[in-house]
Amino acid sequence: MKKIQHTGVIREYDLHAAPVKAGYAGILFLCGLVVVVAVFPLLWVTLAGFKDLKEFLSSTSILPRSLNPEPFVSTWKQLAISKNYLNSLISVAGSVISALVFNGLLGYGIGILKPKGHGAVKKLIMLSLLMPPTISIVPLFMNIQKIHLGNSFLPLWLSFGANAMYVILFVQFFESLPVSIIEASRIDGASRLQAFFRIVLPMSKPICAVVSIFAINAAWSDFLLPYLVLRGADKQTVMVRLFVFSTEQTVNADALMRSVVFAMLPPIILFFIFQKQLTENTVSVGVKG
Amino acid sequence: MSKLSKMISLLLAICLLAGIPSALAEEVIDANLTCTITLGNWPSDTAPAAEKELFESYRARMAKQYPNVTLVPDYYSYTLSNYVPMAKGGTAPSIFQPPFTDPQLLISQNLVGDVTDALEEFGVLDQFSPSYMEMLSDENGRIFGLPRDGYVLGMHINIQLFREAGLIDENGLPLYPKTLEELAEYGRIIREETGKAGLVFPASETYGGWLFTNIAWNFGCVGESALEYQDADGRWVCNFTSPECIAAMEYIRDLRWEYDILNVDATTTDWAGAHSLLGTGEAAMNFAADDSVDQPTANKGLPVEDFALIPFPAGPEGRYALAGGTCYMFAPDISYEQSIALMAYLKILGKLPFLDDDIIAGMRADYAAKRDRGAPVLPAISAWNDEDYNAAKQEIVDEFCNVDMRLYADFFDSISEGTITLKAEEPVYAQQMYRELTSVIQRVITKEDADVEKALRKAEASFQEYLDDEINNY
Amino acid sequence: MVQSKNKLKGHAKLRGNIQSWLIMLPGLLLMTFFVWEPLIESIQMSLFKTRNVELESFIGLDNFISVIGKDDFLQALLNTFSYTFWSLIIGFVLPIFLAMIIGETTRGKGFFRTAVYLPNMLPGLAVIILWSAFFSGSESGVLNIILKRLGLPAQSYLTNAKWVIPIIIAVATWKGAGATALIYMAGMASISPELYEAAAIDGASVWKRVIHIMLPAIRKLAGTLLILQIISVFQIMYEPMVLTKGGPDNASLSLMQLMWQYAFGGAMNYGKASAVAVIVTLILLLMTAIYSYFNRKESDWD
Repeated sequence: MKKIQHTGVIREYDLHAAPVKAGYAGILFLCGLVVVVAVFPLLWVTLAGFKDLKEFLSSTSILPRSLNPEPFVSTWKQLAISKNYLNSLISVAGSVISALVFNGLLGYGIGILKPKGHGAVKKLIMLSLLMPPTISIVPLFMNIQKIHLGNSFLPLWLSFGANAMYVILFVQFFESLPVSIIEASRIDGASRLQAFFRIVLPMSKPICAVVSIFAINAAWSDFLLPYLVLRGADKQTVMVRLFVFSTEQTVNADALMRSVVFAMLPPIILFFIFQKQLTENTVSVGVKG
Repeated sequence: MSKLSKMISLLLAICLLAGIPSALAEEVIDANLTCTITLGNWPSDTAPAAEKELFESYRARMAKQYPNVTLVPDYYSYTLSNYVPMAKGGTAPSIFQPPFTDPQLLISQNLVGDVTDALEEFGVLDQFSPSYMEMLSDENGRIFGLPRDGYVLGMHINIQLFREAGLIDENGLPLYPKTLEELAEYGRIIREETGKAGLVFPASETYGGWLFTNIAWNFGCVGESALEYQDADGRWVCNFTSPECIAAMEYIRDLRWEYDILNVDATTTDWAGAHSLLGTGEAAMNFAADDSVDQPTANKGLPVEDFALIPFPAGPEGRYALAGGTCYMFAPDISYEQSIALMAYLKILGKLPFLDDDIIAGMRADYAAKRDRGAPVLPAISAWNDEDYNAAKQEIVDEFCNVDMRLYADFFDSISEGTITLKAEEPVYAQQMYRELTSVIQRVITKEDADVEKALRKAEASFQEYLDDEINNY
Repeated sequence: MVQSKNKLKGHAKLRGNIQSWLIMLPGLLLMTFFVWEPLIESIQMSLFKTRNVELESFIGLDNFISVIGKDDFLQALLNTFSYTFWSLIIGFVLPIFLAMIIGETTRGKGFFRTAVYLPNMLPGLAVIILWSAFFSGSESGVLNIILKRLGLPAQSYLTNAKWVIPIIIAVATWKGAGATALIYMAGMASISPELYEAAAIDGASVWKRVIHIMLPAIRKLAGTLLILQIISVFQIMYEPMVLTKGGPDNASLSLMQLMWQYAFGGAMNYGKASAVAVIVTLILLLMTAIYSYFNRKESDWD
């Protein structure tokens, strides 16, 4: 059996002392509690989905009376949500690519190429983090209409190519790369753009993974701009569907709980498939920040 | 409002006619009219299948009458906040359905389209109720909207809880409160006997203030004590600190702290939440209108035989009921062709005072669908001063009626007999007033020792400042 | 000779600069279109009398004066600081604590890490809708069911002016704490084990090792995360909007929500809405400036 090492503050020999041992048991208990707190609301909303409106509003039991999946089936039909999943997929895929390419190139310019005047751009990007984005949603939407990009995924994709946070993450990562390697490639006659794709990108898998995760998460969750831009029902994403559903005054609270489950399911599945990459990559990049 | 009440009494009093004029509906009316209109009043994906089929049939008829008009379904749930960017960006649906509180604001901001000429073309300009005219036109008399339906505020009752609490007469009808004082008393009995809330009061956002204005009127906040009025200089002034208004707010406080009949979480309960609580038997009474009777019944599961609609309880100083509704309005950039097409479409929907077999068939299908869903089929309050039209509608309602009209009689009688006075919403910036008043309500029902007068004074100052900014100093 | 070589070098440098700017151009164009231009438009609107989104006349600081003079602005400002305060109490300390305890576990570390990170992956709107039902104050509300089991009386949550802000912060923390904790864990994992070993040999207790070795090592990281957290909490809007609509009696109204009300709540006054947004930005700028003044040596971004 593999020997398990204590890697934190508490070392192997500390565990001989009774108070430390008790403290360690306490830590394990707390960790268990944390797991319960993290998972319980999700469990609750799923269980609540099995209740009808009357049971949901009156029952003093967390468990539903029956585990008949019929309510989920009927809400699925009521929402007609299948096509929205495909739309979300299209929206997320384009957003991730756009987030990597455009923010990556901008980060490359600021973090590695550093042309004259790049400092001002850097400051401007930092500053845009401070300005609440909600206020500019109306002028932005009108700009999108002006260039006739309404009811298309394109503006949503491109909006992910203009994310100050992602640019900053890229810059921070690029600044930590050894400059000598990149300069060596330039001596070999590669252009700046070639150097980016041949040298910098292959070295940047961790940051690309992190920005992808953030972008997937954000593109899946976003609803305000997609709601304004994607007017036709045939292009609505899952979150727009949920938003519209939640504003319909005739929708019942129990059905809303089931629609929440539907909106959460894909990220949860994705999360369990990629959990190792997710938790480790976030860590490796985050620490540089 | 007297016009409206007169109209309603006409509607209710007039008996059926022998012959109904029938247009030759399937003929092409205008093949030259070429345009595209987007329909924001199309049913949502989640709407009952029957409703969707109904709209498909409207579309089919439109295609026959106007072969070169393209209809694009575009379900749209109007809110002021989502409408403005769409109107500015040119993506507003050609037709949409705002509540009667918003038209004047939208008109003053040039965010809606003019349909006066199209109405004239259809020859219905004169039959349009003047009270609606005022709400839907600008100072030059140009018309920007049509009424879809009207409502009168009353009270929804869950008879199951009344029965459980013993509030039932020898005929099995609920003994319902006729005054606000009785409402508090009955609510207490229900609370004590059933453990459920006597009254659900949706005190979130603007709902609380909206309902409060009606209560305040019944406490005497009209005329010289009105919540808002225009003074001699034409300046808009609000008054929340009259003795009448303070008494009304103290009444709300007592509902919570003396009688304890309100639902828990009242400050986060909205319109849909209130219907849910009444429909599932968590509350016995709800201030609500005749146009939402399908909510607690068909949508939330209360059987129609356990549901009643009663008049708004009278207060110490008056007996008013708030009347309002939903209208159709149009995108700001519609062309003349589009406005003609839109009126033709509304005519097919039966929203103009024209009758033909198809419109009648449509109405019958609508009522049949309501009956099948378990929603009460009730006489609707019409917005046209056209006797034939109104009488024919009444005849169809009678045919499909699925309720014991005794459970609704007092509500409709109080309107037709004029024992209750209909009153429109406060004239300017009502939504903002509701917001301010809701804050006060939230304060007095969450803090037992709240100073009612002080809270009202603060809200008054705040709303007055708003009025000064928005109109007085404009 | 030397001169022309320098000249050549100068040309190459210029060409290099142009090439670099060209590489950055697509990103800059997008930033301009999606972020900067709309922002400038909103800042401009804050100085104008507006008719929905159109500028009518320049009125200087009138929008600001009118907005600041109102009772609800003061209330929203105090609430926003209260949100920030509670997020320091709950949202700042908790991730550090989580990282500490999970970092100490041996068996199941991967599992714990996964579990705390899970809420972060969920779409915000869905989560807020979930919470709005979760915090029901009726007897059928899940928290009151639990309280009843424990023999405690039922409580109200989102309708209680005293608790509504801490609850909203707790909700935001539930979602965000796991991701932040993972970053701290990485920071803690990069501390060399020899430091602990050496301290232990010197007789330092576990607690002393935490105070003198672990916490100083993550100080800079904590500073960065703190300022990012303040920036995001200061802009809190959707949570109170869905959960409480700012109530009861404006007890949870945030500045950004006030901005939303000016813009979309019926007044359609984008001038005033923009003024609120500009004020929020100025406060954040000021706080960031104060922060970087005290951390001049460590700041990467100045």
